[in-house]
Amino acid sequence: MDAGIRTAGLGMTFPGRRGLHRGAPKVAVDGLDLAIPPGRVTGLLGLNGAGKTTTIKIMATLLRPTSGTIHVDGIDVVAKPREVRRRINLIAGGERMVYMRMTGRENLWYFGQLYDVPRTVLRKRIDELLELVGLTKDGDTAVEKYSRGMTQRLSIARGLINDPAYLLLDEPTLGLDAPIARDLRKVVARLAAEGRGVLLTSHYLDEVEELCDHVYLISDGKHLAQGSPEELMAAAGCDRSVRVVITNPSAPIRAIATEFAATLGVTPTIVAGENGELEITIRHAEDVAGPLMSALVTGGAAISQLEALQPNLEDAVLTLAAGGAVPAEAEAVRA
Amino acid sequence: MRGGVTCNHGRRGDLLNALVATFRRSWTVTWRAYPFVFFLATLMLGGLTVGLAYIALHVIGGGQVGRDFVDKAGTADYFSYVAVGAASFMFTVRLFLGASRDLLVEQRGGTLGALLVAPGRRVSYLLGFAAFGLFQALLEVIVLIVFAILLGASMSPVHPFTLLVGVLVLTVSVICVAVPFACVMVTAGEAHITQNTFIYAVAVLCGFTFPISYLPGPVRLLGELIPITPALELLRGGMSGHGTLGTMLPQLLIALGLAFCYALAGLAWLPHALRRAMERTF
Repeated sequence: MDAGIRTAGLGMTFPGRRGLHRGAPKVAVDGLDLAIPPGRVTGLLGLNGAGKTTTIKIMATLLRPTSGTIHVDGIDVVAKPREVRRRINLIAGGERMVYMRMTGRENLWYFGQLYDVPRTVLRKRIDELLELVGLTKDGDTAVEKYSRGMTQRLSIARGLINDPAYLLLDEPTLGLDAPIARDLRKVVARLAAEGRGVLLTSHYLDEVEELCDHVYLISDGKHLAQGSPEELMAAAGCDRSVRVVITNPSAPIRAIATEFAATLGVTPTIVAGENGELEITIRHAEDVAGPLMSALVTGGAAISQLEALQPNLEDAVLTLAAGGAVPAEAEAVRA
Repeated sequence: MRGGVTCNHGRRGDLLNALVATFRRSWTVTWRAYPFVFFLATLMLGGLTVGLAYIALHVIGGGQVGRDFVDKAGTADYFSYVAVGAASFMFTVRLFLGASRDLLVEQRGGTLGALLVAPGRRVSYLLGFAAFGLFQALLEVIVLIVFAILLGASMSPVHPFTLLVGVLVLTVSVICVAVPFACVMVTAGEAHITQNTFIYAVAVLCGFTFPISYLPGPVRLLGELIPITPALELLRGGMSGHGTLGTMLPQLLIALGLAFCYALAGLAWLPHALRRAMERTF
C-alpha cells in the first residue's frame, strides 16, 4: 500500500454554464501528479484561479475528478469516498465550518458523532483538542461570542476530531491576526511532526516557506514546478541584492563598483541621489555584500547605508508563474 | 495524538448516530435562535389557519355548504373538513421545509463542506433534518387542533388506526417528495421560489381544503401524481370514517409507490446536487 495521498494525471473540467445555457467548459485542474506523504507539510501554491482549491476539494471527496486517479493510502477516492473521509479532514479559512449558535464543545461533539467516534474516546478527545487550540476556558461559550481567531482555532479542532491521518488546509490563517496565525503555524508544524500528512495552500508565502518541506507550484491547473522552497527559489533564479549608499561619490568609486560587478558577470544599478550621495545595487545569486564592501572601502568610499536582501518564495512564485527564466542547475525541479 | 483514525468503521449504527446528532443539533440551534418567537409563531399560525376557515364558513358562507360539496367530500361539516385539511397542510409544509431546506441553509451558513467531508451518510443528515421538522410539525398541529376543537370542529377519528396509518403514510410521502426538492434548492442555490412553488402546488392540487374532484381533469391528474394526495385521502378516511384501511388499501399503495419514486429520483440526484453546491462553496 502506498502511504500518503497520491494523484496521477488528476484533471477537473467544469461544464461551462451561462445562465440556463451551456458555455465553454472550464479546465480547472489539468494532469496533476502530486504526493502528500505522512509526516510532512506539503505546500500547494499558485496565483488566484490556479486550481488549488479545486484540487483540495477533489482530495476531500467534495468533487469528483473528470480524469486521472487519486488514492489515499492506496484507497481510491472516487470508488470508496466514505472510507477516505475517515482518514482525512479539511479546514478552509474562507468558510466557517462550525455552528455559531452552539458552543465549541457542542460543535466538536456533533462532528464527533458524524465521524462515529466512540463516546468515551470522544469526550477525552474534545478536551484534548480544546486544550491544543487554547479554547479550554471558552469551550462552553457559544461560537457567536468567539473572535474570528477563536472560531478559526475551533475549526482546526473540528478538523482533528476524527484524528485524521491527512489534513487539508485551504488558507487556514486567512484574515487572522499575526499572533494567532503564528500559534496556528505552530499547531500545524506539531501535527506534521506527530506523523500526519498536511497539504497547505496559503497566500501568505512566508507561512509556506516556514512550514513546508516540499512545495508544488501550479498555474492554470497545470504543474509548473516542485521542490523545497529553497529549490524553487533557485529554480526561479531569484537573486540576492546588495544596496549601498555612498556619501562621497567619485568617478573612481563608480569604476570600482562597475569592475566588481563585471567580475560577477552582472551590471550594477548606480543612481545619483538628491543629496549628492550615490546608490549602488548589485543583484547576484551569491551573497556578495562582504566583498563589495571591502572593494568600496579600500577604494576610499564612505558608506552610510548597507542593505542585503534575501530572495523569498514570493519572488520565486511570481517569477515561475510568469514563466521566468530557470537556471540550468534548477531544471530538474521544473515540471 | 497521531493520525490513528479512531472511528467505528462502517458500524451499522452510524446512520442512526448521525440522524440523532443532527436532530439534537437542530434543536439546540433553533431553540437558541428563536427561544420565544419559535413557540409564539407556532401558536399564531395554528390559530390563524383555523380562525380564517371559521370566518370563511360563518361570515362569508353563512354557516352552510353547497350540496355538491356534500356529494364530493362525503360530509356536510365543512369546518371539520377544513380543520383536518389545515392541520394536514400545516404538517405537510413544516415537515417539507424541515426536510428540504436545511441543506441549503447549511450551505449558506458555511457548514455544508464540514458535513460533506464527514463520512456520515447524506441520507442521515436529511432524515435528521426531517426528524426535527416532524417534531416542529407535530407541535404546530397539536396547537391547531386545540384551536379547532375550541371553535367547534369535530376532531375525533372514527377509525383511529386508519388515521394513524394515514399520518405515517403522509409523513413518509412528504419526506420522500422533499428529497428531490432539496436537490433543486441546493443545485439552484435558492429556496424561496422552490419552496413556494411546492406549497402553492400542494395547496391547490392535493385536496387540503376542498375535494380534488372540483379540479379540471388534467389538473386533477397532476394532483394524483403527488403521493400526498392519496395519503391525505387515507388520513381523511380514518378521520371521517368513510373508509377503512381495507377499503383504502389502493390509496395506501399508490401513496407509498409514488413516494418511493420521488425518493429514488431524489437520492439519485443528491450526489450531483451536492457536488454542484461544492463547486460554488469556498
